Amino acid sequence: MEILVCVKQVPDDSVKIGLNASGAPAIDGVTMVANAFDTYALEMATRLKEANEGTITVVAIGPEKAKDALKSCLAVGASKAYLVSNEGLENMDSLATSYVLSKAVSKIEELNGAKFDLVFCGKETTDCTTGMVGPELAERLGVGCVTGIVDISLKDGGISVKQETEEGYNTVETAIPAVVTVNKPEYDPRYPTMKSKMAARKIPIDVITGADLGLEADKTAPAVKVTALSEPPKKQAGVKINEKTFEDTMAKAMEVLKEAKVF
Amino acid sequence: MENCIFVVMETENGAVKNVGFEMITPAKEIAAAKNLKTVAVIIGNDVDEAAKQAGNYGADAVITVDAPAYKTYASDEYTSVLTTLAEKYKPEAIFIGATPNGKDLAPRVAVKLNTGCAADVTAMKLNDEGKIAFTCPVYGGTILAENVVETVPQMATVRGGAFKKAEPSETSVEIICEDEITLKAEDIKTKIVDVVKEISEAVNLEDADVIVAGGRGMGSPENFALVKELADLLGGVVGATRAPIESGWISRAHQIGQSGKIVAPKLYIACGISGATQHVTGMVGSDYIIAINKDEDAPIFDIANVGIVGNVLQVIPAMIEEIKKMRA
Ligand SMILES: Cc1cc2nc3c(=O)[nH]c(=O)nc-3n(C[C@H](O)[C@H](O)[C@H](O)COP(=O)(O)OP(=O)(O)OC[C@H]3O[C@@H](n4cnc5c(N)ncnc54)[C@H](O)[C@@H]3O)c2cc1C
Repeated sequence: MEILVCVKQVPDDSVKIGLNASGAPAIDGVTMVANAFDTYALEMATRLKEANEGTITVVAIGPEKAKDALKSCLAVGASKAYLVSNEGLENMDSLATSYVLSKAVSKIEELNGAKFDLVFCGKETTDCTTGMVGPELAERLGVGCVTGIVDISLKDGGISVKQETEEGYNTVETAIPAVVTVNKPEYDPRYPTMKSKMAARKIPIDVITGADLGLEADKTAPAVKVTALSEPPKKQAGVKINEKTFEDTMAKAMEVLKEAKVF
Repeated sequence: MENCIFVVMETENGAVKNVGFEMITPAKEIAAAKNLKTVAVIIGNDVDEAAKQAGNYGADAVITVDAPAYKTYASDEYTSVLTTLAEKYKPEAIFIGATPNGKDLAPRVAVKLNTGCAADVTAMKLNDEGKIAFTCPVYGGTILAENVVETVPQMATVRGGAFKKAEPSETSVEIICEDEITLKAEDIKTKIVDVVKEISEAVNLEDADVIVAGGRGMGSPENFALVKELADLLGGVVGATRAPIESGWISRAHQIGQSGKIVAPKLYIACGISGATQHVTGMVGSDYIIAINKDEDAPIFDIANVGIVGNVLQVIPAMIEEIKKMRA
């Protein structure tokens, strides 16, 4: 089983990101990590590989420093990694990203000397949260796609997956090759060990450039343009009630709430 | 039907999901300014009633594609139908609810039509060039991006609860029935073999005036019942953060936040909730927020109108008592 996991490096999602003085997202100094949902995807792929057999390759589109995200993946299940340099591709939307990824898939298949059976993506990224790249990639590759899955197993030469729905879940079957996007499963991604980190450091990360992929310029231009950024209006904190005793706190709270006609 | 906006209505057992009706509201505003028609598109089975309702909520016309094959959402089938309709009617814009199904459908159609799609739209207006400027939350909602789709149709997925549906009024609307599209076997790539409905309760967080939400700080499923008791007393709906859902205390139909519902009730009571960005982004629009937390530095207090520093297991029962007394 040849598996590709697509990973984006994003700012740590537990940090509140506002705008800086020049009106851009204030991500300077924020730790960059592999997108949470991509780490769920990698964990699911790794479990599938362990239960069967296979190899996991990870790919990221990004700047040189996105290699750090790939390295963290190499320490928890992936054995090969490629960085698609985003030089000249900094402003892509999902549509363009899926185009570049689809080209990267063919290129990596050529370099690996094997076709992918499965491509895993996170359900969405924590920075742009569009959730569109996975299904768009499937559409471009002309293969089956299941979004928002929380479990996967092999079945009859294809896959059977558990897809979360608003009311519960679906069991969906599809042939291989296929693209799946992964939601938060019941388990958490594993942590690397000292040993796995050391081993990961030795694995070279090849860089693929836009020129290597023979990209058509009009397809890498974003169809969705960001015309402005703003912060949502700040909500003013009201009163915080913290009296010496619980009874006093409650009495004061109820007084304020009655005054405001809340109840 | 040249010059129209498609509003795609998702149905569940023939009933339209709220976000479908809600999207008619901004579509009509844009349609009025641009001299377009607002056309509801319903792919489903037994959707006559849904089609009539779409008219009552303000659609100028309704296109239905009604067949047993479309009874439940199926990715390959719906993608081909919506793509075919878009190629035939050439809408200026296509709005799709940002539900799990809508977010599965929109990107696939976008690739087929080679167009851009704005995701999780919470507001929209026409800009000076006559294009739609979509507001999309990014970075967990701490930044709002204004997005313009340069290509046509201008596609967007729209968050539930972001727009208010109109007051329905009995209208007779033009209904166009389009034929089912039979896919070649090789074009049906995925097959749903089992549908499990675990979540039977209808949880209507978007329309609630009062939401009482519980977080990890409630401590246990038994204690979580206090949240329900307070909600019932106030005629409200129970909400939750991701933590109690992952612990299995309550179903994910109650989740509020980035991966759950966006809500804006008149009153929101946050019980044992820290105030993580991913949660706050889903409820910060509430008119009045009460937060109960034992940690006086909890970030939830930064957005609360009234913060009560205390143990939820003491504060909620006392609050219930007081409200009962007031009403007696
Ligand atoms: C990609 C992604 C998407 C996410 N999407 C969502 C989402 O949609 N919705 C969501 O809610 N979260 C989401 N999260 C999770 C989010 O980051 C937080 O982990 C979560 O909201 C925390 O829930 P909590 O406030 O209940 O728990 P905690 O952060 O653990 O807070 C518990 C609070 O309870 C207080 N407390 C404890 N005991 C008591 C007591 N006896 N009395 C009073 N107070 C007490 C504590 O002081 C603490 O402040 C997402 C995370 C990621 C990475």
